[in-house]
Amino acid sequence: MRRLLQMTSTISDRSEIFSSKKVTNFVLFENGKLKNIDTDLQHGYSLRIIKDNKIGFAYTKNLRKRKELLDNCLASLKGQVEANFNFPLTKEYPKLTTYSASLNVQSNRDLVEEGQRICSFLRPRINGQFNITAGNSIERLRIMNSTGTDIRMRTSQYVIALSFVYPNSYAALRRLFACTDFKQIQRHELMMMIDLYNHSSKTVKPNTKRMKVIFMPESMHTFTWRLQSATNGAAVYEKQSPVSDRLGEKLFAKELTVYNDPLNDAMPGARSVDDEATLCRNFPIVTNGVLTNFYYDLYYAEKSKVKPTGHGFKNAQWSGEAISLKPSPSLQHLHIQTGKESLNKLIEKMDEGIIVGGALGAHSGNIVNGDYSIGLSPGLYVKNGEVIGRVKDTMIAGNIYNTMKKIIAIEDTAHLTHTGVFPAILFDDVSVATSK
Amino acid sequence: MFDNLVTVLSKTDADYSDIRYELKKEIIISFNGREITQLSSNSTDGYVLRVLKKGGLSTIAFTDHKDANKVVKKAEENAVLISKNIDEPVRFAKSEVVVDTFLPKLKEDPQKTTLDEKLRLTKKYNDIPLKNPKIATTNISYREIIRDKYFANTEGSKIREQLTTTRINGTIISRDGSLLQNIRVGIGGSNGFAVLRDQEDEFEKRTSIVLQLLKAKPVNAGVHKAILNQSLAGVFTHEAFGHFSEADLIEDNLSMRKKMKIGDKLGNRAVNIIDDPTIPDLLGYYRYDDEGTKARPTQLMKNGILVGRLHSRRTAAAFNEPLSGHCVAEDYRYAPIIRMGNIFIQPGKYSFDDLLDKLGDGLYILDAKGGQTSGENFTFGAQYGYLVKNGKINEMVRDINVSGNLYKTLQNIDAIGNDVTWSKIGGCGKGQTNIRSCYGAPHVIVADIVIGGT
Repeated sequence: MRRLLQMTSTISDRSEIFSSKKVTNFVLFENGKLKNIDTDLQHGYSLRIIKDNKIGFAYTKNLRKRKELLDNCLASLKGQVEANFNFPLTKEYPKLTTYSASLNVQSNRDLVEEGQRICSFLRPRINGQFNITAGNSIERLRIMNSTGTDIRMRTSQYVIALSFVYPNSYAALRRLFACTDFKQIQRHELMMMIDLYNHSSKTVKPNTKRMKVIFMPESMHTFTWRLQSATNGAAVYEKQSPVSDRLGEKLFAKELTVYNDPLNDAMPGARSVDDEATLCRNFPIVTNGVLTNFYYDLYYAEKSKVKPTGHGFKNAQWSGEAISLKPSPSLQHLHIQTGKESLNKLIEKMDEGIIVGGALGAHSGNIVNGDYSIGLSPGLYVKNGEVIGRVKDTMIAGNIYNTMKKIIAIEDTAHLTHTGVFPAILFDDVSVATSK
Repeated sequence: MFDNLVTVLSKTDADYSDIRYELKKEIIISFNGREITQLSSNSTDGYVLRVLKKGGLSTIAFTDHKDANKVVKKAEENAVLISKNIDEPVRFAKSEVVVDTFLPKLKEDPQKTTLDEKLRLTKKYNDIPLKNPKIATTNISYREIIRDKYFANTEGSKIREQLTTTRINGTIISRDGSLLQNIRVGIGGSNGFAVLRDQEDEFEKRTSIVLQLLKAKPVNAGVHKAILNQSLAGVFTHEAFGHFSEADLIEDNLSMRKKMKIGDKLGNRAVNIIDDPTIPDLLGYYRYDDEGTKARPTQLMKNGILVGRLHSRRTAAAFNEPLSGHCVAEDYRYAPIIRMGNIFIQPGKYSFDDLLDKLGDGLYILDAKGGQTSGENFTFGAQYGYLVKNGKINEMVRDINVSGNLYKTLQNIDAIGNDVTWSKIGGCGKGQTNIRSCYGAPHVIVADIVIGGT
């Protein structure tokens, strides 16, 4: 990489190299039986150069074709994409515990045995199908730039993903467990899900009306995607945020606090710096219902004439490959602050309502405007404070700027999901449409 | 290249193994509003090795050829570990040994079109909506992906196939005060650069719609009878029905497998559905899948009866059903999984005007905006719609998301039009993204569809 950086000095004013080497193992159990074991070894490098305040970008899977990489980067200058920023000099940054050597020696046999242990626990307790994915990964990241930054990071991750699947569907109650080291899931972490699942086996048919709704952590992305879309510095700059002029205003219920916390190394994937080597920090987005901040990478911070906030990440959603992506403003460590009551207490507060265990179609609809309209996958029906079944052919719809004003209570525990760390939230007066 | 691949395969000690090498070339030109934010041209590559040993099937994707020995050893270990922990050994259905090179004919090879021309054309289309002051911004990109794939297996197959995909697509966003509306726009295909030319009308039309959406009323939540346009009916076919014709999705889901039994009547007798990756010029066109199996048309539903299924070699053996050639990977990072090619509802007898007359009062909803399925339940968005009264199209409505039950909806398809059209932009996200997933349908009438509204 150093040689490559030297080569860039002859063709550009400023440059940056990002590299990733990652080994991933996954073991999949379907219907409680071992199905697949897959391993993935991926390397990659991406290069950004700035010349005459124009930026070029290129990437490759290995460095045996350095010349081609440089040529591609030079060719991309043709786009005349303006870049009046410099890559940061980052020498001092918080030291986080993101790696455990024990995962380096965890074998696929170990993953299979842990999966089988969980299967044995669940089999007599679940009246239906369950799937388990057990996996680990080790990733080495390096960011070098012409300003003098050279940061190496190593992360490890151990993951268990569980889904309890309802008959005739892939609607499932899901839960994700992940940490930097191997950790056995404890009984109490599973029992609430098991109870919810077993109590919702019957199909029920509520009427179309407005009612109380709990969004479980696994469906919270319905809201957070829309909030992230609206507070993204790129959206603000490009005039596609409905809240671009509302910083400091109380837009949501006072119970709602949303923040990005990359420094919390109790969670896997903690980061001291973003993918551009800008320092990360605990960063509030919504504080007690008040819109607090927009988040930026280097590019959009410079465009917007504000300081970068350490949110320039290669946001590899929808199976995108990180090295093939430019950094863009991204909340990778999103949290919603917990409340004071257990999930059971939240359910007891519902005379009649729906628990959204999973959202179907959260990615469709008018996201920029905050509108949502989702199928339930699954939707659990609550009557007089008890789960009595699950609903079918039902949709929940609204706009986050209305719904999130109507928070009744927030769960006292936050749970890791694929999109952040969230508690369940009980909302009042949500539109529920159902077929007869 | 094949010599390298065969050398790796020769190191395996397995009942069967295959390896795929891919060189992927990608060009991206992106505009956000009037600003160009990316212009890049890159190539990446990698390998995927699969090993079937003692009834265990294992896959390893890797980047560096130097890792081949390590990868072979690990793949065999994984396969044996699986074999010791499963009840039913994995078997592969017998597939023809093929030695072939397939480079589809293109109408204007994008590799021979200059980057300047791609930039010029993208900018020209991007400028169309931006002429209107109520357009807040655009996100329009040109994307070209060329996958040059080399496949070899221990049975003797050696196949090279090149897949070229081009598109210009994105979102147009309109704004009136604090109200934002957006609409998707997209042109593209699998048969060369020419498909992108002379498409100004499409961008003009989408601009007009997103401006009208600023004045449209939100649709009322509830249960409606509706005409689905071709795009929406196609998404229904893909999302709600098609995915459960993919054998790997139901193989271990016993309740779904029971529901999707060949020979059962699942839909209205007017419904006929087929998946055919062999139709040239459609987005999902290919000759061989990523297991080296020749693609073939597969009738899935005939007169409402389930008659076929999409398979890999593994599932064809497990279900004891014919191979279909539908096991496809996104790129060099992935094992192949079962995917649809070109799935479509075959045309019926009604013109669009006939359908409006049959509908009487209801909704006419148009153009997919994302979809998702979860077994028998599905949800997808419509980009806009119209109220229909006495068979006449009235005012526009917005915020339309539809939910339904697969089996009820298949039964509730009251009438099928005669006007099939095909999608031009892919992007199915079943674990991997399939940029060539293609669906087609005519207009259809569906009774009792749940609409979420807002």
